Amino acid sequence: MGGHVGAPHLHMTWWEVLIQQTINGLTRGAVFALIALGYTMVYGIIELINFAHGDVFMLGLFISMAWFTLFGVTKALTGWQLLTVLPLVFGLTMLTTAALNVVIDRVAYRPLRRAPRLAPLITAIGVSFMLENVALLWKGPAPIAYPDVFPSVDILREWFGVDSAILVTTKDVVVVAITLPLMVALHVFVTRTRWGKAMRATAQDRETAQAMGINVERTILITFFVGGALAGAAGLIQGMYYNIGQWWMGYQAGLRAFTAAVLGGIGSMGGAALGGLVIGFLSAWSDQYVSARWTNAIVFSILILVLVFRPRGLMGEASADKV
Amino acid sequence: MSRRRGILLVAALLAYPFVDRALGLQTVHAVSDGMIYVLLALGLNIVVGYAGLLDLGYAAFFAIGAYTMGLLNSPVLGSPLYGHAWSFWLCIWVAAAMSALLGVVIGAPTLRVRGDYLAIITLGFGEIIPVAIRNLGDVTIEIGGWRPVERLNLTGGENGVNPVGRPFLPGVPFETDPVPWYFLILVIGVVSLFAMSRLHDSRLGRAWMAIREDETAADCTGVNPISTKLLAFALGASFAGFAGSVYAAKLQAITPGAFEFQVSIMLLCMVVLGGAGSLGGVVLGAMLITVFDRVILSQTTFLVRGLGRAVGMPALAAIDLTLWRWFFFGLGLVLVMLLRPQGLAGRRQRAAPLVDDAEESGAVEAAPPPRVEAIPGWLRERLMAAGDGNAEPVLQVQGLTKRFGGVIALNQVDLVVPRGAIIGLIGPNGAGKTTFFNTVTGLVRPDGGRISFAGASVVGLRPNAIVARGIARTFQSIRLFPHMTVLENVLVGEHCRLGARVAGAVFRPPSVVAEEARARERARALLAFVGLGDKGDDVARNLAYGDQRRLEIARALATEPRLLLLDEPTAGMNPRETETLTDLIGLLRRELALSVLLIEHDMEVVMGISDRITVLDYGTRIAEGTPSEIQRHPRVIEAYLGTGYEQELAAPTAEP
Repeated sequence: MGGHVGAPHLHMTWWEVLIQQTINGLTRGAVFALIALGYTMVYGIIELINFAHGDVFMLGLFISMAWFTLFGVTKALTGWQLLTVLPLVFGLTMLTTAALNVVIDRVAYRPLRRAPRLAPLITAIGVSFMLENVALLWKGPAPIAYPDVFPSVDILREWFGVDSAILVTTKDVVVVAITLPLMVALHVFVTRTRWGKAMRATAQDRETAQAMGINVERTILITFFVGGALAGAAGLIQGMYYNIGQWWMGYQAGLRAFTAAVLGGIGSMGGAALGGLVIGFLSAWSDQYVSARWTNAIVFSILILVLVFRPRGLMGEASADKV
Repeated sequence: MSRRRGILLVAALLAYPFVDRALGLQTVHAVSDGMIYVLLALGLNIVVGYAGLLDLGYAAFFAIGAYTMGLLNSPVLGSPLYGHAWSFWLCIWVAAAMSALLGVVIGAPTLRVRGDYLAIITLGFGEIIPVAIRNLGDVTIEIGGWRPVERLNLTGGENGVNPVGRPFLPGVPFETDPVPWYFLILVIGVVSLFAMSRLHDSRLGRAWMAIREDETAADCTGVNPISTKLLAFALGASFAGFAGSVYAAKLQAITPGAFEFQVSIMLLCMVVLGGAGSLGGVVLGAMLITVFDRVILSQTTFLVRGLGRAVGMPALAAIDLTLWRWFFFGLGLVLVMLLRPQGLAGRRQRAAPLVDDAEESGAVEAAPPPRVEAIPGWLRERLMAAGDGNAEPVLQVQGLTKRFGGVIALNQVDLVVPRGAIIGLIGPNGAGKTTFFNTVTGLVRPDGGRISFAGASVVGLRPNAIVARGIARTFQSIRLFPHMTVLENVLVGEHCRLGARVAGAVFRPPSVVAEEARARERARALLAFVGLGDKGDDVARNLAYGDQRRLEIARALATEPRLLLLDEPTAGMNPRETETLTDLIGLLRRELALSVLLIEHDMEVVMGISDRITVLDYGTRIAEGTPSEIQRHPRVIEAYLGTGYEQELAAPTAEP
């Protein structure tokens, strides 16, 4: 991955390696968690594994890049720019991916609301392939360098004067500093607003919600909008942190994030956040202690084991099919 | 297909390579490769089309087939089999067996999982297998200082396996000529098609379709969902094993990249485009996609580029449509699902008649009243043979308890069904009546209590095993197999009384032919008995409401039950239909000594027909007795019948 990530090196002691990889896991996990929230919200409300969601995240990265280019940003932002341009690009990127996600739902999923459950899953796979192909044609097959927009400062050394082998940069901090408020805002939205209440009601029982006067289709639209916005934010964070993007990264990240959502308990937002962190840590540790070549196999094994033995995940509720 | 078209098709297939040679087209190689994908799509169709399981990792089985061939029949991995004349012919069977084995290993623990979760699980395996193949090219295991395995090459790693031994037949030039390959793959393909088509039209094919339509209903009709799905998984995998091993030997080289997720999705495109479940459709879909991928995209690119140059548009002149192939596959999946979900060759589903129509037709041609003479002889014989004069009750339930979270759905419920009795089970909505049925039929596990059927406990048995013991049921909201024909619905009921297995279904020995003929005869007799004799070939969902209710009873009777559980059989019926059905139930008890447990809200029906009645309220049995005792029971009147019951009995209202 990118050069700014704290990569463990030979002179580190074992516990320095562990701490370093745990920090890496935290930042990875934050991104997974943001993507996982989109999976879990959509699944909670229409029981669809939105296969294309990972690709919306990938396009979020490229779209945010396009916005930065439009504003002429090519190198690290400074001072006031961090407080104006960066939030602006975040907002625009989130709006774009949110709109994209809503369009995907309208075109590919909405006509199939009453179809068998596997039908929209198949169209979701189709949409995923289309989005990946669009990115491939737009940016080409090679990895794309993402502008290094956020200044990277070695916090321990420069700010605290600690001479440590462990690298914690301002980038690590900003990932958490952006992800956490987004999650809190989502929590407030879902638990404290009318629309959030409509979402929770629709997730529990669509027909009853409809009977109670909730506009179910609008609620689904809002869900896709919010999920797409979070995926866009995750794409920007990913680009800002690793400074690299590639057309197929959405598939990989999407599957890991979906694993996170399932691990946390699909449908549960707290579970998605927790699952994201767990998968972040596990994948970082696996890269270090097993081998990066096996990390995917390990993550998918977790996915399979959870689905088979504890399909409600860590925080989900048991559900039984009605007879 | 008409006979003449069939002969023409065979002639074209046989003549094709020679025509190709005469014209110097040199397309046989590409066509043979394409046919391997057709074979793969056909195998996937068993899983997706027949059994309705979305498999997103089917390429993993293709990989196992190819790598089994590579491991056994390549010098790179030091195989002792390499270079022997019989190697290939042995290895394709080993490869198919290995793939099937992997199918069982993957399927056995995971097939309980819901459909969309299963799809993701297969996807996970589809990802894990190539990762494992990539990483097992150089295996060193180190335990302390001891290295039991050092630099072992299991799979050829990223470089793959090259070369792979070719098949050997005296005088046939597999080394130099593509034509023998063409015929080899053609033979495998035709034999596979034959086997699949026979499987489809067998007891097993019906079980797959039933699972696909409604897994719970299939389970409660005597079809074991797990083993049925596992069989589809293993069979589908074995065809991929054949395809993979032939692919490896034909290409002479295999690399992990050939078995990625995209391959699984391309195969899924073929199945979905052609029409999942239809053999002809899948062959068509696979051919269309292969031709599109290999010919149309590249040829169109040339065309567009030429056009671009002629018009002077550099953007068009430089276009490469082959880079768009995954976009088109994705678009294809979306468009097919949106516009023609049944695929190109699939039957367009006829619209179900509107409710009004159904009621009308029910009024116009009401079902004939059941007649004693119409009782199928075979059913009488079988049920009488089963009821060996034993006087002990058919069903004895003691202290049955079921909790859902904090709600006690059943609380220490006792109930006895004597042989040949009709027992009513009544109570307000939410009293636990259907939960009681679900517990007895094995859909729900009780938290306490005993359920003994014909003297043996059935607690902990799967629903299909309980059906095999002799308990059949119907559902409150009718659960037929909606897209299967009326006759097929009844045949699924006979599933657990038939014995044909894979070999029998494919080779059709006389015993299987006779069994199938007998099954159809019995099913027709049953349909005639319930008054659906002329509707055997209709699709079940198109039946009028009352007909659907009676079909569900016919399906239950086909399982040769000794105890029939009917969950609100007259709900939604008009008075005339209700009367016919009541007569039918009475007839079954009188003539066949069939025991019946009946949930019913229509008091006229339940009081008129039941020998004894049990009343539930909030999961607790509040009364038990003869109908007249129940009508006078103060707690029943208070909890359920209401104080105005006498008036209500005079003018019964339909309760939902």
